[in-house]
Amino acid sequence: MNDSACELLDEYLARARSGERAALASLVRAHQRSVYSLALRMLGTRDLAEDLTQDVFMQLNDNLGSIESSRHLGFWLRQVTTNRAIDQLRRRARVQLTSLDEEQELFCAEEGADPLLQRHLRALLSDLSPQARAVLLLRYQEDLDPIDIARALDMPINTVKSHLKRSLDTMREKVGAHAGCEDQST
Amino acid sequence: MNQDIESEIRSALRPMAPSDEFSQQLLARVAAHPPARPRSNNRMPLRARHAWWVAAGLAASLVLTVGVERQLERQRSLQSGLEARREVLQALRVTSQKLNLAYEAVKSQSSSLADAEPAV
Repeated sequence: MNDSACELLDEYLARARSGERAALASLVRAHQRSVYSLALRMLGTRDLAEDLTQDVFMQLNDNLGSIESSRHLGFWLRQVTTNRAIDQLRRRARVQLTSLDEEQELFCAEEGADPLLQRHLRALLSDLSPQARAVLLLRYQEDLDPIDIARALDMPINTVKSHLKRSLDTMREKVGAHAGCEDQST
Repeated sequence: MNQDIESEIRSALRPMAPSDEFSQQLLARVAAHPPARPRSNNRMPLRARHAWWVAAGLAASLVLTVGVERQLERQRSLQSGLEARREVLQALRVTSQKLNLAYEAVKSQSSSLADAEPAV
């Protein structure tokens, strides 16, 4: 996020804190992509992701007074979304499998990207533990560094690093095996 | 290989927008939700809070000083009462000794007088 965007969001935040609903709506528009994507990739279904996104923004409305800046707002939203998603996943015995028609939504393939590899990555991501999944999403979707991930998830930095390393090793190994199978079948 | 898998994951995890329908609903819900009261409305300004704490501190130290002073006064008066009692007891003890001595003297004098008188 560049400085002018930050300044604009800071201004929206100040106006939202003074009770201006339009400014709060602008903040929601600016952050809904990030919050919704995190919720969807953590929880696996669109309905649950929408519920969580809505709850997070309602919670934001009640906590606007404690948000100090636009950067703090981004951090706060990621922290609340991932922690609430982890709590929900802990309550559920298993992560619900996503339906086939939702599969396309979880990973909108980039132009030229391998759709099979994307689907395989989706399966590998949902196999990870909730904490490891949150670490991976904050690192590669939200582009946070390990120190910020540790703060957001209230986790020691070494745990974050070991989650990242272990998840990447597993994914690399399984993607390699998957590519081998594809080569053999063609 | 590590960078390859990282870039693959990064591209697969690009943030995606929710449906327009949900987005509209969310904005409507947020707009309809009553805003949380700004903090300044239900809290005293910092300077007033500071003055309040100073006043409360002064009042508490005044109460404490008066309480301690009264306690000391009570102890002083108890101490002087005990001192007076001790002096009275000492005076009584001395008086009692003097009386005993006088009694002994009178008693020995009267017995010697009785011995000196010839029997009739």
